[in-house]
Amino acid sequence: MEFDIDFIAHTNRIADYNPYVKVIGSILLVLSALFINNNYYSIFIIIVSSLLLLALARVSLKDYVKFLTIPFAFTFLTCIFMLFFFPSGAYIWNSGFFGIGITTESLRVSLLTFFRVFACFSALGFMSLTTPITDVMSVLRTFYVPQIFCEIAVLMYNAIFIFLDNITVMRNAQKTRLGYLGGYIDSMKSFGSMFSNLFLISLEKSETLQRTLDSRCYTGELPVYKPDRSKDTYPELVS
Amino acid sequence: MHIMEGYLPAFWCIIWYVIMIPIVGYGIYQIKKITEEYPETKALVAVSGAFMFVLSSLKMPSVTGSCSHPCGNGLGVALFGPAITGVLATIVLLFQALLLAHGGLTTLGANCVSMGIIGPFVGWIVFKGCNKVGLNTKVNIFLTAFLADIITYLVTSIQLALAFPLPSFAAAFPKFFIIFMPTQLPLAIAEGLLTVIVWNGLIAYKPEVLEKLNAITPQKA
Repeated sequence: MEFDIDFIAHTNRIADYNPYVKVIGSILLVLSALFINNNYYSIFIIIVSSLLLLALARVSLKDYVKFLTIPFAFTFLTCIFMLFFFPSGAYIWNSGFFGIGITTESLRVSLLTFFRVFACFSALGFMSLTTPITDVMSVLRTFYVPQIFCEIAVLMYNAIFIFLDNITVMRNAQKTRLGYLGGYIDSMKSFGSMFSNLFLISLEKSETLQRTLDSRCYTGELPVYKPDRSKDTYPELVS
Repeated sequence: MHIMEGYLPAFWCIIWYVIMIPIVGYGIYQIKKITEEYPETKALVAVSGAFMFVLSSLKMPSVTGSCSHPCGNGLGVALFGPAITGVLATIVLLFQALLLAHGGLTTLGANCVSMGIIGPFVGWIVFKGCNKVGLNTKVNIFLTAFLADIITYLVTSIQLALAFPLPSFAAAFPKFFIIFMPTQLPLAIAEGLLTVIVWNGLIAYKPEVLEKLNAITPQKA
């Protein structure tokens, strides 16, 4: 279990660029697509953000397509659904069956929604695929998002990865002891007991985390060392 | 499934943000008060948030083989109360948008109102009410998680129907709700069962933790 998006956010070509430019730029793209709400403009946004991601950030096409697949599938299904089941206006095609059919209005709305969602997702992708979460949080902090919110978010972000490791270990332990086998109820039991165990572990972890933070004079900020990748001395290990 | 980025028109995004911000703000205020009084709770809140995120990002064993995620808001609200759950759900939704491409930033307000505020709040009322009546804890937890899940989707269908009143709100709402139900009803039942199993595990191993969180009264342990 790993988050590909997070990995890409840390390793793309513009990961170390000014996060303000990336976050604000991407939010502006999203908002403009949302407010202008026009098919041609949406397509324009899709092209712009795809180009930014593929050419500037050098995210591989495979990763980008993977990022878009799930949203695309959901949007496609919901728009198909809206196209057929929400008749209003004149019929273009009528199945003659509870009023199911394509109408002018439903066609217009579903096309509009489809391109808008797609535009917003690719613009959001520009942010989530190029900016690590800690950077996003530091940007949010300057937008007067309460400090405690950002603090908890950063601590959560750190804890998530510890948990994912724990889950892998526990799952393997359960599987080697014949967990998840048998019927549906059995696998639910395995899953549930793993989570109650995880919750107990997480409580212990939170105490440890608090002690570590206290002993390192934590005041609400986790300073992280960021190497300057533009320097020549930076080893070309990841690119 | 959350409402996708860009799916709601701009007007409704703003409306749901306007509704969400004061409530989440109140939750943040609560957390701030608690953490100032007891600084050691900050890590606890953060770690529980991470727990909620991990819970909602993992696939649950499902009958049909389709992928399904537990919401985790029923468990959250039973453990921490609605104010903290609201804030944690906001962060969880933000991370889901940025790390998993589920939901989105512009629809964060709408998703937060359904998943982080109204659903858990109803769950919390059920939980407290059943506790008062003295219903069996297992049944209580099942109902809490089940209703928190169902109400979440009820609110989501209201939100979608308000945003796409084709031809009218009254006609669109039942359609959205009916579409959600065949997939969500088994999921809500599964989540209820899962939450009961998790809860039983917690009570069996460390009942004192739940007492500390004020989730169960001592005599019931």
